[in-house]
Amino acid sequence: MRIYAIAVFLFLYVPIGIIVLFSFNAGRHASELKGFSIQWYDKALSNPFVGDAFVTSLIVAFSVAILSSLMGTAAALALQRLKGTPKMLFDGLIYVSVMIPGIVIGIATLVALVTVFDFLNPLLASAWPEGSKPPKLHMGYASVIAAHTLFTMSLVIILVRARIAGMDRALIEASMDLYATPWRTFYQVTLPQIYPAILAGFLLSFTFSFDDFIISFFVAGANTTLPIYIFASIRRGITPEVNAIGTMVLVASLVLLLTAQFLLRKRTQR
Amino acid sequence: MRADSKPNRWLTAALLAPTSLWFLFMLIFPLIVILIFSFGERAAVGGYAGGFTLEQYANLPSRLKAFQNTMIIAPAGTLISLLVAYPLAYYLALRVDRRYKLLLLVLVIVPFWTSLLVRTYAWIFILGGRGIPTLLELIGIEGVRLINTPGAVLIGIVYGYLPLMVFPIFVSLEKLDKTLLEASSDLGGSPFKTFRQITLPLSMPGIATGCMLVFILLMGEFLIPAFLGGGKVYFIGNALVDLFLQSRNWPFGAAVSVTLVAIMLITVSLYMRMTMRSKTGRDESLM
Repeated sequence: MRIYAIAVFLFLYVPIGIIVLFSFNAGRHASELKGFSIQWYDKALSNPFVGDAFVTSLIVAFSVAILSSLMGTAAALALQRLKGTPKMLFDGLIYVSVMIPGIVIGIATLVALVTVFDFLNPLLASAWPEGSKPPKLHMGYASVIAAHTLFTMSLVIILVRARIAGMDRALIEASMDLYATPWRTFYQVTLPQIYPAILAGFLLSFTFSFDDFIISFFVAGANTTLPIYIFASIRRGITPEVNAIGTMVLVASLVLLLTAQFLLRKRTQR
Repeated sequence: MRADSKPNRWLTAALLAPTSLWFLFMLIFPLIVILIFSFGERAAVGGYAGGFTLEQYANLPSRLKAFQNTMIIAPAGTLISLLVAYPLAYYLALRVDRRYKLLLLVLVIVPFWTSLLVRTYAWIFILGGRGIPTLLELIGIEGVRLINTPGAVLIGIVYGYLPLMVFPIFVSLEKLDKTLLEASSDLGGSPFKTFRQITLPLSMPGIATGCMLVFILLMGEFLIPAFLGGGKVYFIGNALVDLFLQSRNWPFGAAVSVTLVAIMLITVSLYMRMTMRSKTGRDESLM
């Protein structure tokens, strides 16, 4: 049994280890190990395309995480007061937005937005004063952020709701009995209790958005995120440089996840 | 509790407004557009031309291979993941010392939250020409082809989605009342009988959740077949990327997406009904 578990852990971690190992390869070819070198990291970091893609990914992931944790928390708080048909409707929508394949979200968003833009752009152009250049709506940051947020917002709602369900209601009632205003009750009683769930939601949203390929592939327009860049490079052929970028992406997600774990643990201990 | 006063109701509405807008514009509206497009015709330059025709749906058999591959490899991948994940979840939940349990569980989950793209790409390396086939040549086995086969796609699937399968099974095994296991062995039940009559039925909810999560994600999979199937073993997802981004046949692509969502909804609701029924059946037998 223990040997089996070790084998599965090896299965999970050896491929990751191989990428890391080969990213330090001194040789030109991806498949032969020839001594230790960090030249590929140097090359990847000085490649302007990688830098741009990284910045794009960071902007998108950060916006997604902030939007999702704000809107998701607000919705989770409101949903506990909702009853009957509206509640069922929201539950259904949350369920569908989590379950629907990313590829369908990507495609549907692309098709819908392109249709809307094709309709709006001529209107904008005709409404704009003569001589100045009318704005042209197109796919970009906003469309990727909006499409990612659909999924991550529902993720935050689910996490925060679970936390609210496990919360001690007596504390809230005590606070209100002691004539605290609703805002003060929220700020001093509810928020500290649901804070770990919001934080976990923020970090998971960030990681999801940062690692997502398929939705961005459809709706990012001319903006290249890091996963799109990696995908395109792999299509052109495997180079040690891709290994170096991949290693950095893995390390970034790892640091985020461990931070989330650490913060959550610290919070629950207090 | 106080009755819902008017300001309270306004607050609820305000808190839900952004989420509602998102659902409306980013989920409901796009899905309606896709549905409308699927009944339209392809414009001469690609894209969409209005109309009402069932032509796109009649044309579905031209992508039969993609549907077949998905409908065979996705369930097979789910089943293999279950078989690999169960013993590990069992070991972590019931055999490991309490001190290391959480650490080991985190070690299983962490890969799932790192880039699937990078992790799948590692397997191009391992299964490709200079990976395992070269090692096999060293010990005298030649001409083995691993990459771009259904087997390679299955390995990628198990590798990518194993954590998602382990977690729910672990949770259901962890919650299981250990005294039941002791009672069973005290009453002379063999380990196998204890497993079959107590452990397995009680971990069914975890198995059902894990299988459903993995199956749903696999139905829309694109990356794993794209990397490890090399154009030979492709899924509906790969056909969709091709239809929308290469051949720009939007109405047909829309019809394929609508069919994919329909197949998913039908299998998932059938599956849920099945697992629900077996659950109520067991509750009755317990009484």
